[in-house]
Amino acid sequence: MNADDWLRAFAAELHQRRVGGDVARHVVAEAATHLREGGGDPWLVFGAPQAYAAAIVESIGTAPGPRPGPVRLHARGITKRYGRQVVLRDASLTVRAGQIAAVVGANGCGKSTFLRICAGLVSPDAGEVTVAGRLSYCPQQGGTADFLLPDEHFVLVGAGQGVPRVPARRAGRAAARQLGWDAGNAALARHLSGGTRQKLNLTMSTLTQPDVLLLDEPYQGFDQGSYVNLWDQLTRLRDEGRAIVVVTHLLNQLDRVDVVLDLPPAHQGGRS
Amino acid sequence: MNRLVTVAEMTLRELTRRRGVLLLLLLMPLTFWLIRRDSYVGQSVRALLLGISWAVSTAALFATSAARELEPRLRLAGYRPHHLYIGRMLGLWGLGLVISVPFFLLTVIDANNLRYGGIAVAMLCCVAVAAPFGMLIGALLPRELEGTLLLLTVVAMQMLLDPADAATKLTPFWSSREIGTWAVDHTDDGYLTRGLLHGLVVTVLLIVTVAGVFAVRLRQRRHLHHVPIA
Repeated sequence: MNADDWLRAFAAELHQRRVGGDVARHVVAEAATHLREGGGDPWLVFGAPQAYAAAIVESIGTAPGPRPGPVRLHARGITKRYGRQVVLRDASLTVRAGQIAAVVGANGCGKSTFLRICAGLVSPDAGEVTVAGRLSYCPQQGGTADFLLPDEHFVLVGAGQGVPRVPARRAGRAAARQLGWDAGNAALARHLSGGTRQKLNLTMSTLTQPDVLLLDEPYQGFDQGSYVNLWDQLTRLRDEGRAIVVVTHLLNQLDRVDVVLDLPPAHQGGRS
Repeated sequence: MNRLVTVAEMTLRELTRRRGVLLLLLLMPLTFWLIRRDSYVGQSVRALLLGISWAVSTAALFATSAARELEPRLRLAGYRPHHLYIGRMLGLWGLGLVISVPFFLLTVIDANNLRYGGIAVAMLCCVAVAAPFGMLIGALLPRELEGTLLLLTVVAMQMLLDPADAATKLTPFWSSREIGTWAVDHTDDGYLTRGLLHGLVVTVLLIVTVAGVFAVRLRQRRHLHHVPIA
């Protein structure tokens, strides 16, 4: 990791620890100046980015997180059977503006089914979902067109909202950059790696400026840096007042979420 | 309107990038033409028309199957079902017209004493019917292989059925055969009228059915209630 990478990781850590934007920029600029003038390996000068960010937070404090707003997603009494298998039984979840909710559980407990029901793609056998505002959904896989360029995906999604193609392309590239991906020079979707394709998937779902964002294991194929960028972006979206639901089975992410829905295993097997 | 044009444009872009598949699809009408070329031009023209129908309907099937996962999220992004199926159909009709031009020129250059206007109209009928027909199969059957096999069955049936058999009128591409007969054998105008009417009715029926299938598949589910942000 060179100095630039270290500074990027440091900035991401500050952001995740809710250090205010101006303060974080100032601290990173100071560290950069110190490295430029004094030289040396940032790992020797400052230590690990996480540890240094934690030390900074301890000394200057953090910006108070925005208070959760009104309810954006309310799913109640969701029950779903596939044949005789009960995949979901009376599952409920309420997510407010400015909150991240995690849907967790073992394989086959119906996490993805629950999210697809919330997105209105699958009908439940019982229960209702109320969504306030615009809804967007990022599937676990698929959801992109193999023979289109990322820019063309942005234009296609943008046109749904009546956004002209140039602003749609610009907004897509900017959103992709938040995930550390340069979408402007990318190849057809079918030639993208699994992780990059998932970044395209994720970018498409944030492009419509949704009030409620449903993400089904959005980090599949991500490397460590992209994973950090993802949570950085989710935190930013939360702070902007979006309600986010993430299906996940990685429990170490849970310290960054506000609400957890732990689904019990399905009866007689099931599907995820 | 912008949504329709965008979906049509992206459909065309996707299909024109599938060059290998497109070339193989074009090979069928060309082969049909060449095989019958020396024996009887009428059979050659009819086979060519059937080949074009096959090519366009298969392209429609592939386009519809490929968009199966994408369309629900486009629906959430602000598209209505009719934007998606009409836009895709427009793109496929455009592609069908582009495919037909070289084959039409082939008949003009390689065959004499034909009503060329009739050949052009028959090709238009093929394209008009084939796009919604392929889309319908693609919407009903989830996998491309199953859809391709069904298309193959329909085309083979169309080719093998006795023209005198009343059941041929129930096949989707009968119109092009009837107009082709008018153009090749210089029969009375009844052939042209019947063919045009059949083509129109089948196209409208297929579009209505495609609309119904898409409306059901991409419907707003009853359990989901949207409320505006106060």
